[in-house]
Amino acid sequence: MKMDRRSFLSFVIGGAAGINLSPLPWKLTDDLAIWSQNWPWTPVPKDGEVTHVNSTCFLCPGGCGITVRKVEDRAVKIEGMKGHPVNDGSICILGLAGLQFLYGPSRVRTPLRRVGERGENKWEKISWEDALAEVAKNLSDLRSKNLSHTVACISGYSGGTVPGLFERFLTVYGSPNFVRTPSVKDSYELGLHLMAGVQADAGFDFENADYILSFGCGIIEGWGSPVRMFKANSRWKENGVKVVQLEPRLSNTAAKSDQWIAVTPGTEGVLALGLARVIVDESLYRREFISGYTTGFNELIQNVLKDYPPEQVSKITGVDKTTLVSLARAFASAKKPLAICGRGKGAVPESAGEVMAVLALNALVGNINQKGGVWSVPGPLSIRWPEPEMDAQAAGGMQKARIDGAGGKKYPHIRSLLHRVPDAVNSAEASPLQTLFVLESNPYYSLSDSGFVKKAWQKIPFVVSFSSYLDETAQNSDLILPNHTYLERKEDIPGVEGFHKPIVNLMKPVVTPQFNTMHAGDVIIRLAKKLGDPIGKAFPWEDTEACMEELFGDKWEELEEKGYWFNGNFEPPPLNKSFETASRKFEFMGEGFGAFYKEVIVKAPGEEAAYPLVLIPYDTPRIAGGRIANAPFLTKTVPDTVIKGKDGFVEVNPKTALSYGLSEGRYALLSTPKGSARVRVHLFEGIMPGVVAMPTGLGHAGYDTYLSGKGVNVNELMGPVEDSASGLNAAWGIRAKLSKA
Amino acid sequence: MSTNNEKEKAVTSTGAIETPLPNHEAGKEENGSGGSILLFFIVGFVASLLVGWILFPKLLYSEKKQPISFNHQLHVEAVDDGCQSCHFFREDGSFSGVPKLAQCTGCHEEAQGEDPEELKFVEEYVAKGREVPWLVYSRQPNCVFFSHSAHVKMAKMECVTCHGPIGESTVPKIYEQNRITGISRDIWGRNIAGVKRNSWDRMKMDDCAECHAKEAKAEETAVESPMEGFFNNIVRITFPGTEKPGRKSSVQTQHEACFVCHK
Amino acid sequence: MKQDQARKYGMVIDLDKCTGCGACMVACMAENNVPFKEDESNKLDSITWMRVYQLTNGKSYPETDICYIPRPCMHCEGDHGHSPCVSVCPATATDYSIKTGIVSQIYTRCFGCRYCMGACPYHARYFNWWDPVWPNGMEKYLNPNVSPRMRGVVEKCSFCFHRYQQAMNKAFMEDRRELQENEYQTACTQACPSGAILFGDLNDPKHQVSMLAQPDSEHSGRPKNPKAFRLLERLGTNPKVYYISSREWVRRAGDNYLKNENPGKAH
Repeated sequence: MKMDRRSFLSFVIGGAAGINLSPLPWKLTDDLAIWSQNWPWTPVPKDGEVTHVNSTCFLCPGGCGITVRKVEDRAVKIEGMKGHPVNDGSICILGLAGLQFLYGPSRVRTPLRRVGERGENKWEKISWEDALAEVAKNLSDLRSKNLSHTVACISGYSGGTVPGLFERFLTVYGSPNFVRTPSVKDSYELGLHLMAGVQADAGFDFENADYILSFGCGIIEGWGSPVRMFKANSRWKENGVKVVQLEPRLSNTAAKSDQWIAVTPGTEGVLALGLARVIVDESLYRREFISGYTTGFNELIQNVLKDYPPEQVSKITGVDKTTLVSLARAFASAKKPLAICGRGKGAVPESAGEVMAVLALNALVGNINQKGGVWSVPGPLSIRWPEPEMDAQAAGGMQKARIDGAGGKKYPHIRSLLHRVPDAVNSAEASPLQTLFVLESNPYYSLSDSGFVKKAWQKIPFVVSFSSYLDETAQNSDLILPNHTYLERKEDIPGVEGFHKPIVNLMKPVVTPQFNTMHAGDVIIRLAKKLGDPIGKAFPWEDTEACMEELFGDKWEELEEKGYWFNGNFEPPPLNKSFETASRKFEFMGEGFGAFYKEVIVKAPGEEAAYPLVLIPYDTPRIAGGRIANAPFLTKTVPDTVIKGKDGFVEVNPKTALSYGLSEGRYALLSTPKGSARVRVHLFEGIMPGVVAMPTGLGHAGYDTYLSGKGVNVNELMGPVEDSASGLNAAWGIRAKLSKA
Repeated sequence: MSTNNEKEKAVTSTGAIETPLPNHEAGKEENGSGGSILLFFIVGFVASLLVGWILFPKLLYSEKKQPISFNHQLHVEAVDDGCQSCHFFREDGSFSGVPKLAQCTGCHEEAQGEDPEELKFVEEYVAKGREVPWLVYSRQPNCVFFSHSAHVKMAKMECVTCHGPIGESTVPKIYEQNRITGISRDIWGRNIAGVKRNSWDRMKMDDCAECHAKEAKAEETAVESPMEGFFNNIVRITFPGTEKPGRKSSVQTQHEACFVCHK
Repeated sequence: MKQDQARKYGMVIDLDKCTGCGACMVACMAENNVPFKEDESNKLDSITWMRVYQLTNGKSYPETDICYIPRPCMHCEGDHGHSPCVSVCPATATDYSIKTGIVSQIYTRCFGCRYCMGACPYHARYFNWWDPVWPNGMEKYLNPNVSPRMRGVVEKCSFCFHRYQQAMNKAFMEDRRELQENEYQTACTQACPSGAILFGDLNDPKHQVSMLAQPDSEHSGRPKNPKAFRLLERLGTNPKVYYISSREWVRRAGDNYLKNENPGKAH
């Protein structure tokens, strides 16, 4: 039978009828719908048993306890640890994004050796064995040439076992050059050392203070231990505690304070002395404390405060006289007033003069080592490392002056002066620094005056980075020995920035190491063993954990079980035993440091004529500016008036902008004596005319595509300003100019 | 149909003027063509029915065997607590689902008998510490939220109600995977038409809704069955404002709101 | 089963305590598998279920003041559950639950017409213009309790409803039907280091949220607390997110009030 057109049509119609009476179309439609709703490339997170692991956050010095939610072997979410003495269940924006570091694309997955030019970012993968052999060879060569003191380590932290292992390694190897990155912690250490005679960290009993006078501290922008500060801030709101913020820019802290007083930047110390002067003039100070526990009060009045009458202070700081006087009265008449300093997150030290002025102000109202006041907090546990055996080479090396001059004749009270390292390298013909270790720190990015830093960097023959991430320093090193991230390793972190009670936190491995990385402490122990005795002998431990176990002794078990060791009952010693100065009293003025008040003003570098504006960096919790860079989630929260595309913005007062013919969003060239950058203008009424501000933590060249190349690294526009009293880099800003671009 | 036929004729006769021979032939065939048209219709009809009912399901699903031939019956007899001995609830109320290797090794650290399947299990998985890639018949797409706790613990439902008498099986049935969606055939049901005889025959959203509607009706809440909903919706649209407020759970569907079953 | 007492979950955000740190935004993104792109500076296509806006009082230096205002989905009840977005959805992909007061959404059911986005006066809804991409390895942290969304669908804050489900699961295990206040908390509430965000049942007078906001059931939930306000109060959306501020200019910013109107005494 032939099939003609009609039959064919009939066949088709029959087919159509049949198909419609079969489940095919309906089932197919349903399946296609399900298919189109579940694309194979949309990930399906695997479900499973949920467990929680307690650990410690290490993304800033805040020392918060964290609880990580895991599904089977995956870490899924980081939350605050309930009941932890620092943060009790809360957590900050950076801590929340921690898993983006752990699983992120910027991880260094295996030891890497540089193959291209330095900084070219070309690497070959090598084994741990080869990597350690290479470092060991370099170190033993230097040691045999009597150059052990040319090895240095820049560390982002100190006090714990791992930095301790590094420092111990340098000691027995023969180098005094363990350099800690600076922060306002150094200033407080210095201030307490000079005025109270103690070797202690400053702690602040914020929870019990009833009046907060903040000299530019970003109380809710990452200062101290951020979550603790957030919580304290809310507590102040509930209890009607007054917060006064003194800074030239309406920061979040200023906006949330009860009173924002704009101060000419750099003159905060003068304001502190001016307030002290009013308190003294009006006899508002606590007599009992002054007469009983202090010396040098009269000398302070005669030699220092005499120069700061309200009119003079008003002229310097831009704060009008009535405000100044009423502020001094309010501060002194509060029951437990507390004054603090440390700009922004406190990443930059303050000058000796300023920190002393602030401590003096606290002493005038008698709140040193008192409830609601400034406490000197000793190291949490008296950890004693076994005395190492030193050979002649080691002893000789340790006799040499430190590369940064800290602890020397000029700066006897300071332990580290990182900003002086590039200077030391550049000023010598042959680099006094042959090999550099970098641990949990990103100096290539964070040191200011980057042109100078880069020049010095090129002169250092061998740079070893221990970074877990491909940061700028790692990119510009010769060898990367990637550390486990903080979620993969066990390590103790003693002390919490600004916390008033002794505490040791423990980081614990939340997940097994994801890549071919190694605990930096273990690397040092293995390296020491490779170098042989007597260096190896000083490291009798199998690994870092064995070392921690020995050091913590009977406290180890508690530390491991709870995740922290905390002395909640700690009270500062009574006032008659508080001070370890020669006079056993708090010294307003003392031998050798009274003159430091004279340098209370730190000037911004640059000529006013050429650079009429002042650039200040500012901190925000949404941008990590420290040793760790921003996670993608954080960058996502950054407003489009801070980053737009790749462009970074500079905050300018509309009045200032008008005088330069600049409007919102316009491109401009921001120049300082140290460099210039193309930026866009954001008009902000909250900034003092004549001052412009840029956020820290942007303009990265390293890390991943979610961060790198966005905005400007403000450090590149800044330069160090050395406080001649302490040697600390107290740069808070730099002179600048703006022009249309 | 008739108008179509007339049109067809008209077309053919127009064609005839130019080609006489085929016209003659066509005219000759005209008588028989009614039958052949019907025949082709039937052929097409039957063929497509065969395709739709028999070939299509065959093509739609690929057949996969479980990695180990697991004997449910044997295990149910050996344990004390029925299904929940292995498919248990965790303390947080979540349901463990298919057991992990660790649970099996409690008994099967070493082979207990001579069964080749058990030997394979011990050698391939226990010894090597590998998880068994079980094929889960009841796995739903990722957008589905289902709380075992709500059904088993709160509503006291039996496992059998949804999963059927799987505990009585001695060999696992073939896992048929939908080639388009990647989902097991058991979700749509063995019956390609979607007809079900038992409550466990299908696991589609409508099956959830059916049961929920029944339950809700028993409690005299205003949750409607799909059919009722259809007509009530017409009433609602025609006469807005007449609905009784406050008794139903959801505004849109009159069932439960989306998140009850979706995540 | 017995009909549960209807709950009405809502939020009270204390703007005096809120510091604008953004922890709530990241807590939300981490909890709810919210994706991220290389460039998120175009805020129109940047998906943030919780977004912290900055308000200014419009005055010039040094009288200028800023305030941060976190904006989740308001879970509008409107008039008997007729929230703006639910009313317009042609796909029945979004719904208002009278049992919990939560505006829910089936991502896979949404076909991306974006009517709901147009209808939402709070810009709380976001469209997936692209398929989400997690860089290699990062999908490891995804939360199994929330399904990742695909290109072409709308998503928004769910008040972390999966946490409610989990809390209920646990309650069922313990043979309970009721939840304690602290058993169901959203990720943002839990994370907020300032304790500015409170979450709970507005129908339960013992919950902090109802004590603080004092919703007036006679007047579609308007807050009786003179320091509390809701966004675009007079639009009649009847939102379940309340804000508290002691600054009058902040309260005024909540709606387009005329000079002689006082938001605290709106009714």
